[in-house]
Amino acid sequence: MAPSQASHAPTLDSLIKSFNSQTLEASIESLLFLLKRRQVQGDECAKATAHILRQVVAKSKWRDVDQLLSRVQSAGSRLARAAPMEPVIGNVVRRVLGLIRDEASEERNADDLVSETASDIQSLTPSTYPAQRPAPVPIRPSPSAISTGLQVSKSMFNLLSVADPGDSPMTGASTPMSQAQPASVHALRSEVMDGIEEILDEINQADDQIAGFAEIQIHPGDYVLAYQPSRTVERFLVKAASKRRFTVIIASLESPSHTTAEAPYATLRKKLNAAGVKTINLASNGLMAYIPRVNKVIFGAKAVYQNGGLLVDSGSCIAAQAAHEYLKPVIVLCPVFKFCPEDPLDEVSRRELGNPSTYVSYANGPAVDALDVENTVTDYIPPELVDVYLTNLGPQTRHHLASILADHYKTEDIGFSLQLDEP
Amino acid sequence: GRRPSVPTTEKDVRSGIPECFSHVPMAKRIPTSHANKDVHPAVLAVGQQMATFFLNDSISRLRATLLAFRKVIESYETPKGNSLSRHFVPHVLNPQIEYLTECRPMCFAMGNAIRLLKGRVNKFDIDTAEDEAKEDLLEWIDSLIIERITLAEDAIARNAAESINEGDTIITYGRHRLVEKTFLEAKHDGKSFDVTVIDDPFDRGGQELAETLRQAGIPVLYSPNLGGLRPKVAAASNAFLGGEAIFANGSLHAPSGTADVAMAAMNAGVKVIVLCETINFDRDRVSVDSLTYNEIDPERNTADCFRLLFDNTHDKYITGVITEFESGGGNSPAQAI
Repeated sequence: MAPSQASHAPTLDSLIKSFNSQTLEASIESLLFLLKRRQVQGDECAKATAHILRQVVAKSKWRDVDQLLSRVQSAGSRLARAAPMEPVIGNVVRRVLGLIRDEASEERNADDLVSETASDIQSLTPSTYPAQRPAPVPIRPSPSAISTGLQVSKSMFNLLSVADPGDSPMTGASTPMSQAQPASVHALRSEVMDGIEEILDEINQADDQIAGFAEIQIHPGDYVLAYQPSRTVERFLVKAASKRRFTVIIASLESPSHTTAEAPYATLRKKLNAAGVKTINLASNGLMAYIPRVNKVIFGAKAVYQNGGLLVDSGSCIAAQAAHEYLKPVIVLCPVFKFCPEDPLDEVSRRELGNPSTYVSYANGPAVDALDVENTVTDYIPPELVDVYLTNLGPQTRHHLASILADHYKTEDIGFSLQLDEP
Repeated sequence: GRRPSVPTTEKDVRSGIPECFSHVPMAKRIPTSHANKDVHPAVLAVGQQMATFFLNDSISRLRATLLAFRKVIESYETPKGNSLSRHFVPHVLNPQIEYLTECRPMCFAMGNAIRLLKGRVNKFDIDTAEDEAKEDLLEWIDSLIIERITLAEDAIARNAAESINEGDTIITYGRHRLVEKTFLEAKHDGKSFDVTVIDDPFDRGGQELAETLRQAGIPVLYSPNLGGLRPKVAAASNAFLGGEAIFANGSLHAPSGTADVAMAAMNAGVKVIVLCETINFDRDRVSVDSLTYNEIDPERNTADCFRLLFDNTHDKYITGVITEFESGGGNSPAQAI
């Protein structure tokens, strides 16, 4: 990439490359800048957050686990505040916090096992430490209660997920490491950085893993309505096209003024057509007209809330509602890192507003002057409109989302977003 | 056979249409030189205006058609040895209708009016004097326009305006004459209410409605597309939707997107009121989905984009229909024709 271009509009890749040569604070600042300008969005936010937290672990000064946790929390909440409509940032921060707690408790166990038995610790931990940190609001059964009913393979996430009861204390959370030796700080640092690498791998591989389920979900002759196909959805459709003959109907909110010389989704359509899959590009907002012809509706989620509700691109809700009315399945592609252990805020405050001038010309001032124009960028979809949550771990229904959350987040970190208000 | 160039261009124009929509008709521009020589100049002009969507909604098309037919009747002279009742329809009226249908598929109101007109002609005695018959037809057309269009519009707007309560928030989709008239009338009555206009970004009629209402002093929230529809619908007290036609099974034929708004409103527990003149009711046809009766947008039928002009709203998403005769459920006013 030409350097002049890079300095003009830094991309995420060039930013990540620059992390090694910059101070930690400079790296955080430049990412905050990109987040605030919405130049880093969606999946890229997750990657960027993991990269920056890796820098935090590597470069910031910390002597024990509590200090490391608070460094990660403070950097994480700055990022999350910069892009409040990107819940994946908070998810990655929580994952890293959980990772640190796991690593710390493993080391502590190794130390303590010399003098005490594991079962003693298990009975001790809950009563000894809760007072040190305001307990998060209990919103679901404790992870240990849920983890017994887990269906999900944990092989990939053995570092991140909640360990089986008996392996280690479940709430080994804020275990103080005041007597930690410098050697163990060093060990913890490298363990945590390895763990973050694994989270990054997971984020990078998620789309391919989801695409692996394409041939199960898409059947020959299907008419698939893809609403504003994201990169995840594109990969899914292209993978399906290598196995099946079907038709893709692409819908979006975009009005003609948005379409430049390049027709919308031209690259995707070229790939699908090359594989023998027909595409129809709808120039329409209303989808009830087309749903009788459609077999299933597919779109990507920006985030999945604890209740199974979705944060999605604006207009996806129209597709989901129309499909629901005609009893057509709604398949949502959502990698596990998009699952938030939070409840959705109410619909009005959760939606994001975009620039209305793309729709209304302010050139005819007086006419438009007193008009309230609202151009929403995100929608909330209630869980009852979703049939399949297709994750990188496989298809899920909303009844099993709690176990995915329990697998990936520690109860202590669920309240992370509540700390956002604190400076 | 008669005009070999036309079928080939038609094939080209329709070649981009996906197979699953290939049965849906589409308006097309016919060069006036290609039209049947029997087509009256007034009808030629109306046909062009329909093909270019300058005349767009069903009532405007109906009115223009009737006025053009008025000219056709005025200039009609029965050939020697024929009578008006036998000659006019097959030899004069039908070519006009064929041409109009070729320019754009007829709307259901036009179909109703033409059926009524033909019935009127058939009632003439074979020896009715030509002048007398022409006079009768012209008067009949004038009264049809007054009763079924002009007065109907006033009556519907009045009824609908009365149903608006102080402090209501009414949500509507796109721009429909009757809905616009209703809002202005209610405002004129001194009612204070809010309007949420949901627009179709591919049409943008709603923006004109929003500006008109705004100038009349009605608070308007304008949404350029169907994004964020659920919360907007939930905040409304009523949805007012205009219709192009209502079928015998009570389903509504209206601009694409109307069904989405009606469904969202009904699911949110908001009353869905359809405003429609009875001349738009079709008691012979039944439509259960949007692919039975529809039209392809001729501007958007390329490989890069495709669009249907209408959708079909099932009567379970309609609380009531306000017509010039009565306000009731989706089905009962069908008897009014």
